[in-house]
Amino acid sequence: MKNFKAVGSRLLQLALVLWAVVTILFLMFRLMPGNPMAAYIDPTFTLEQQQQLMAQFGLDKPLWHQYLIYLGNLLQGELGQSFRYREPVGQRIWILLPNTLILTFSSLIVAYVFGILAGAYLAWRRGSWVEQAAIPLVLTTRAMPEFWLGMVMLAIFSFSLGWLPAGGTRAPGNEYSGFLDLYTSRDFLAHLALPAATLAIYSQGLPLLLMRSNMLDVMKEDFVTMARIKGLSNWTVVVRHAARNALLPVMTSFAIAVGYQLQGNVVVESVFSWPGLGRELVNAVAASDYPLAQGAFLMIALVVIFMNLAADLLYAFLDPRISHA
Amino acid sequence: MSEPLLSVRDLRVSYQVGRNFVHAVDGASFDIPRGSITGLVGESGCGKTTIARALTRVIAENAAITGGQILFDGKDLAKIPEKEMNALRWRDIAFIPQSAMNSLDPVYTVEYQLDEVLRRRGGLNRKQSRARSEELFEMVGIDANRLNDYPHQFSGGMRQRVAIALALALDPKLIIADEPVTALDVIVQRQILDQLKELQTRLGVSVILVTHDISVVAYICDRTVVMYAGKVAESGTMQAALTAPSHPYTMGLRNAFPDLQGAASGILTPIEGAPPNLASPPAGCRFKPRCPFALDICGTEPPVIEVAPDHPVLCHRAHESAALRIESAKTETWMVPA
Repeated sequence: MKNFKAVGSRLLQLALVLWAVVTILFLMFRLMPGNPMAAYIDPTFTLEQQQQLMAQFGLDKPLWHQYLIYLGNLLQGELGQSFRYREPVGQRIWILLPNTLILTFSSLIVAYVFGILAGAYLAWRRGSWVEQAAIPLVLTTRAMPEFWLGMVMLAIFSFSLGWLPAGGTRAPGNEYSGFLDLYTSRDFLAHLALPAATLAIYSQGLPLLLMRSNMLDVMKEDFVTMARIKGLSNWTVVVRHAARNALLPVMTSFAIAVGYQLQGNVVVESVFSWPGLGRELVNAVAASDYPLAQGAFLMIALVVIFMNLAADLLYAFLDPRISHA
Repeated sequence: MSEPLLSVRDLRVSYQVGRNFVHAVDGASFDIPRGSITGLVGESGCGKTTIARALTRVIAENAAITGGQILFDGKDLAKIPEKEMNALRWRDIAFIPQSAMNSLDPVYTVEYQLDEVLRRRGGLNRKQSRARSEELFEMVGIDANRLNDYPHQFSGGMRQRVAIALALALDPKLIIADEPVTALDVIVQRQILDQLKELQTRLGVSVILVTHDISVVAYICDRTVVMYAGKVAESGTMQAALTAPSHPYTMGLRNAFPDLQGAASGILTPIEGAPPNLASPPAGCRFKPRCPFALDICGTEPPVIEVAPDHPVLCHRAHESAALRIESAKTETWMVPA
């Protein structure tokens, strides 16, 4: 009963946050300087034609009216028409979102699995030469800008060695019958390798350092000492007790990192010409394609909000002190 | 007296702090007979917890056993290889920590933590482990249906009972209880102590009770080892140590604590001053700076004098103890001359 209430209030919060995001997006694009129709309207159009187009997009109506229409459309899943592509924004996003999500999650999962294991190992080997060599190395990966790292990766593995393709999601001329067919093809995975590796190298530092410092704290806890006094094996002490407890904040950081990563994707997707939401967002803003930019922003916000919810639920699942509180 | 279960001889444990060595335990000797409760008592920093941990050989990273013997069941725990020591842990020597809250892993149920010990260390199967867990909970007076609860769902006293159940799990020969009731209020303290005493008598296990509280020792212990500044000041039966304390420090301690039974025992008299810095202890008797009976001779290393059989005392004036006891009962004796 208590749990239902907690989840209910959490969902209500979620709805409020969503509404705030939607409203800010609406206002943001209308407060931007310049006419939103500039990209759509040919300067050679007559004034009458321009006004006709404005009316067609509902831009002649007062702001509050536009807002209501916008909300109404959103509730029906209607994101409007892209100025540039002359096709529904929803359709465009539907094509791009999976690319972005696959890139984000594959790189983050690799980064977190590696970071957690390596962080735990380095905490366990505290003071050894391995640790002394590894920490500066990790800090270096944290300090490298993604776009630079991406270009270096391209220069080495694509241009010099020729092992991996330089951009896109598939070789030219290859056609696939469906989502699954494409995403499980060797072709797609070869294209995914470089951008995902770039993001993974950039992202693994956070979970690694977080895990390491958590481990060092947890190793000082009484229950770890007690586990040793109980004569449990080193593996049991380090993995089942120390690492299990040190993992909690790292898991939450994963969900938050997904949101953070979506921003980072903008850069990496551009470097690797990855047809994802981030790259499309940059292009849409540059081309004043407001409906598409608005839709892309909304999609990214949705993923971030959803991942935060997932983090909360995951934490409650992993930490009995939260779920019973 | 039959062969003691544990015999500590001239034990030395040092901590490395920067470039200095702090000799937290500096030549401690005492015996723990089978089936007894021995109180290891002293002020904070006197080395009592260091001894307790040294007996399990799970000590701080910067600590090391630098000398002496820990004879347990015919083995010298200070010397045996780590593997052999680990086989002994919990099966023969269990531990009850001060704060059961922090010493139980928060993310596992209590049953998991009992099961871990019973199966990984005790070699029981799942079914036997469950039965034993229920039995242990019954022994410490907790309903078996709380086995599936997490540590945070128990009260402080309950958690301490869980810690006792854990310690009893594998029928150890020796249980080291490090300040087991210090974090609890007085009512719960008494319940836990009664429980501990009852189980100890019933199971015939030996217990070392580490505490700073001499009234706790007086309440349940058969024997006591009084420590001061890394050395054993006096040890013997409870009877001998309380009715005939022969080291001035023990006399002072007795004056400084109220009775756990609540009986009015007169005015409490503190021992003025603080224990010495163990990085550079004073020459001779370490209690000399605070001792009202100190003489010039106390500047030299004090001898161990057996004032009675099984009652060694580390004091130059131990043979005069009967006279000093009378003096020590007076509050003025302990007042610092203005």
